[in-house]
Amino acid sequence: MTKFRLYFDKDKETAFLNEMSRKGYAMTGFCVGFYRFDRCLPGEYIYQIDITEGMFRVSNDYREFMRDMDVEIVCLWGPWVILRKKAAQGAFELYTDVESSIAHYTKIKKTFQLATVMEIICLFLEIWGILRGVAAAWSFAFILGAIAIAFVRQLMRINDILAELKGRTGDTGEQSYSGRKGKISGYLAAGLFLNGVALLIRDTGGELAFWLGFAKGFLHVLAILLCVAGCIFTLWRRS
Amino acid sequence: MEKSTPLTEALFYILLSVRKPNHGYGIIQEVEKLTEGRVVLGAGTLYGAIQAMTAKGWIRIYSAETDSRKKKEYIITDLGRKVFAEEIKRLAELLHNGQLMWRQMEP
Repeated sequence: MTKFRLYFDKDKETAFLNEMSRKGYAMTGFCVGFYRFDRCLPGEYIYQIDITEGMFRVSNDYREFMRDMDVEIVCLWGPWVILRKKAAQGAFELYTDVESSIAHYTKIKKTFQLATVMEIICLFLEIWGILRGVAAAWSFAFILGAIAIAFVRQLMRINDILAELKGRTGDTGEQSYSGRKGKISGYLAAGLFLNGVALLIRDTGGELAFWLGFAKGFLHVLAILLCVAGCIFTLWRRS
Repeated sequence: MEKSTPLTEALFYILLSVRKPNHGYGIIQEVEKLTEGRVVLGAGTLYGAIQAMTAKGWIRIYSAETDSRKKKEYIITDLGRKVFAEEIKRLAELLHNGQLMWRQMEP
């Protein structure tokens, strides 16, 4: 079975994988949003998601350590490592104290910061493309804009988590709870993304023309509704 | 020697658990037993601690033979012992002062 999901939040993704395992589907592969599942006994595996220094690779030390702990590396995706352990072999958690949780989320924060900067550079390249009259640039600009918003949302969430964790260690040097109030609505990102997808649909003529036009119009309306909802929610949370 | 104390709870108990050769699983079990289930180390927490302490030279890999079937074992180094002794001294001072003053503070 294959399922498509776009997760930017690794904690929600972990919950999703464990929920699927509970239902008897063990995740065995991943590629750009597509999760592959095989049947397993309900609750057979516990999944966790880690982040490493490298891209699409982990050190031999890491590999050996996890093998010694009866933890299987299911797949590597970018800086992410998806791990699982048979529930019968005991509990499986990654970070169990404040200090290591802070280190973990700091690593995630740095990754998102770098990704956001690269996103915004790409976005400017697309905007330059729009100015030069490249037709496809519009849709890519919307999609990249949506991803940039998703990344910024994650950065805000991670800042909240870090502030909470640091509060527990008594290190309240930089109080940054402000993120909670200024959160950008996820609907805005979804709206921009759909708008970009809608713009990608080309009129080709022929039998499909009607349906393609219908899909395009539908996506546009949906995108506008989502953007309006996103703006309202964002402003509402700010006030 | 760089300033290393106070140790985090995890580092303290990991150092204590590698006074004799011990592997990852063994460390987790020993710490859980010592603290009566209060401290259960996660895999990521333990991995990070082992990497950091190996880099600082507080612990080292024990098993010399490169038999890939065998679990990797770690043991405390002389430097690690020194760090641990410092920490015990610091904690003893805390406990001593705490108990002494607390008795006087009690109504």
